Amino acid sequence: MTTLKLALRNLLGAGLRTWLNVFALSFAYLAIIFLNGLMDGWQKQAKKDTIEWEYGKGQLWHHKYDPYDPFSLKEAHSIIPEGITGAPILITQASIYPEGRMMSVQLKGIKSDQNIINIPSSKLQYSEDNIPIAIGTQMSETTGLKIGDKTIIRWRDVNGTFDAIQVEVIEIFNNTVPSTDNGQVWIGLEQLQKMMNLKSEATIIVLSTNKSISSTDEWVYKDLDFLLMDIDNMIEAKKAGNSIIYILLLVLALLAVFDTQVLSVFRRQKEIGTYIALGMTRWKVVMLFTIEGGFNSILAAILAFAYGAPILYLVNKAGGIPMVADASEVGMSIADSLIPSYTISLILSTVLIVVICATIVSFIPARKIAKMKPTDALKGKIQ
Amino acid sequence: MKEAIIKSKNLTKKFPVGNGYFTALEDINLEIGKGEFLGLVGPSGSGKTTLLNIFGSLDVPSEGEATVMDKNVSQLSHGESAELRNKHIGFIFQSYNLLPVYTVYENVEFALLLQDKSTSERKKAVMDALEWVGLTDKVKSKPAQLSGGQSQRVAIARAMVKKPDILLADEPTANLDSENSHHILQTMVELNKELDTTFIFSTHDEKVMKYLRRMVHLKDGKIDKDQLITSL
Repeated sequence: MTTLKLALRNLLGAGLRTWLNVFALSFAYLAIIFLNGLMDGWQKQAKKDTIEWEYGKGQLWHHKYDPYDPFSLKEAHSIIPEGITGAPILITQASIYPEGRMMSVQLKGIKSDQNIINIPSSKLQYSEDNIPIAIGTQMSETTGLKIGDKTIIRWRDVNGTFDAIQVEVIEIFNNTVPSTDNGQVWIGLEQLQKMMNLKSEATIIVLSTNKSISSTDEWVYKDLDFLLMDIDNMIEAKKAGNSIIYILLLVLALLAVFDTQVLSVFRRQKEIGTYIALGMTRWKVVMLFTIEGGFNSILAAILAFAYGAPILYLVNKAGGIPMVADASEVGMSIADSLIPSYTISLILSTVLIVVICATIVSFIPARKIAKMKPTDALKGKIQ
Repeated sequence: MKEAIIKSKNLTKKFPVGNGYFTALEDINLEIGKGEFLGLVGPSGSGKTTLLNIFGSLDVPSEGEATVMDKNVSQLSHGESAELRNKHIGFIFQSYNLLPVYTVYENVEFALLLQDKSTSERKKAVMDALEWVGLTDKVKSKPAQLSGGQSQRVAIARAMVKKPDILLADEPTANLDSENSHHILQTMVELNKELDTTFIFSTHDEKVMKYLRRMVHLKDGKIDKDQLITSL
C-alpha cells in the first residue's frame, strides 16, 4: 500500500513528464477501443441485417445444397416437408439479358406471403402474362435494370430443357446483404416451381423460430451459429488486420513509457540511493519504479475516459462512421455508416492489456536498480 | 563510555581499481557508545564517508568486521540491512538528498511510511520533528523553494523523525554558510541531549569540530588519533 501511495505521489509530482506519457497512452486506449468497437459494431450490424434479409431464425437445407457450389443446385430440391413454419425458397441457375448482354444469375423463388425475411416478396404474385421479379440496388446498378424494365430470363428445367421468358422488374430493394443482391433475381415461388416443373419443391426453408429442428435424410437443420459463422470469421480476420494499427500505436506509447523509465533509472540515482538509505529494500525500489510506470496506464485510462467517452458518444450520436466501401466490395453486409459498439468486456480487456504491457515495459529498466550499489547511487554515479 | 552500539574490528575496505585494489580503510578498530557526538575527521580521501557507509550498512567491509546494533553488517541480507537502516539509523547528506517531488511534510513523513505507522502517529511525529528544526511553516513547500539551510534542516527532521539510535551525517555543513551551520549543529546537539541519539559526523569543517565531543582522526584510511574532548 505504501509503495502504491509513493508511486502515485512520485508520478503526479513529475508533472509534464508524466502527462505526456499519459496522453500518448490514452490515445492508444482510444484507438484500440474505437477500432475494436467499429469492428464489433460492424459485426453486430452485419449479423442483424443478414438475419433479417437472408437467414431468418435458422434454415433447413436440402441435403444436397451447397451454397458455394452452383452445380449442386441441379439436384438440391425436394418436396417441402409438412409441419414446418417457414419461407421455402427454390434456387436455380439462370441467365438474364439486360441491354442485350448475357449475365449468369441465381433465380430464387420465394413465397409471396412470407414475412420472415425482408425481401419484398408480396409484390411477386403469380401471373400468367406479366412475370414480376425483384432485384437489389447493386444488381440494378450492375445490369442497368430499373423498375418497369423488361428482360429475358433463360433457364433449364428439371429435365434439362432450356426455356426462356420475359420478366418485368417491379421492385428494386435496398439492403446491405450482398448474397441477397449481387447476381440474385427474386421471383414468386409458385412461378419458379412451375417454370422448373418442381411443384411444391424447394431448396431451402427459412425458419420463423429458432427452435431446433431434427434433421432428416432430405433436410438438414442449420442454426444461426452455423449460418453466421462466415461473418464471425471474416470480422475476426479483419480485426486481426486492424490490430496492426493499434499495436503500432500501443508500441509507440509504451516506448515513451520505457524511455521515461530508462531515463528515470539514470537520472534519479541519487533518489534511488536515498530510498535505500532511508530503509527501502532494493526490490521495493524496483517495485516502486515499476508501479510508477504501470500507473501511467491507469492515469491514461482515466484521461482516455475523460476526453474519449464524449468523443465516442458524439460519433455514435451523429450516426457513426460513413463507409466508403459498399457491401459488394467487402463481400459481406456493410451499412452506409457503421455505428461502433462498445462493450464492458472490450473496455476492460483493453485496459487490462495496456496496464499489463505498461507494467512489463516499466519493470525491464527498473530491474537495473536491484544491481545498483547504494553508495554509488547516493553520489549520483552512473552505474 | 556507555554500551557500544557500533564496533569495528580490524576493518579494512578495498575498492577494485584497474587490475589492483585501492585500500580506502585499513585495520580500523573502533567502539562507539550510545549517545556519543562523534566526528570522523580527516581530509578528502581519508576514508570518512566509506566508514560512515559501512556503519550505515550501505556497504560492507572487505576484511574484518563491523557490528551495528549487535548485527554484523557483512552477514546481513539486503532486507535485513534495509530493516536496520529503517528502524535504527538516520542519514544526513552533504547535498541534503531531499526527494524533489515531495513537500517538506512528505519528505519527513517518508521514513515513517516505511515503518507502516498510522496516519495520526505520522502526523504527530512529523510536526514534532519540524518543530525541532523550526520549519512548521514550510510543511507545504517543495525542496526547490527552500534555502540550503532550510533544506538541511528538513533532512535533519527526516532523519530524526523516527527517533533512530544512530544518526550518520556526511559533511552536513559543507554547503552551508557559517550562520546556518551553527544553527544546524545547535539543533543536533539539542537532539543528541534530548533523545540520546548517537551522532556520527564525517567532516573536515572546523565549525563542526567545535561541537564534537570525540574526534576520530583518519589519515590515508587509518585511525591517526582518537581524541576525547571533555568540554565544549
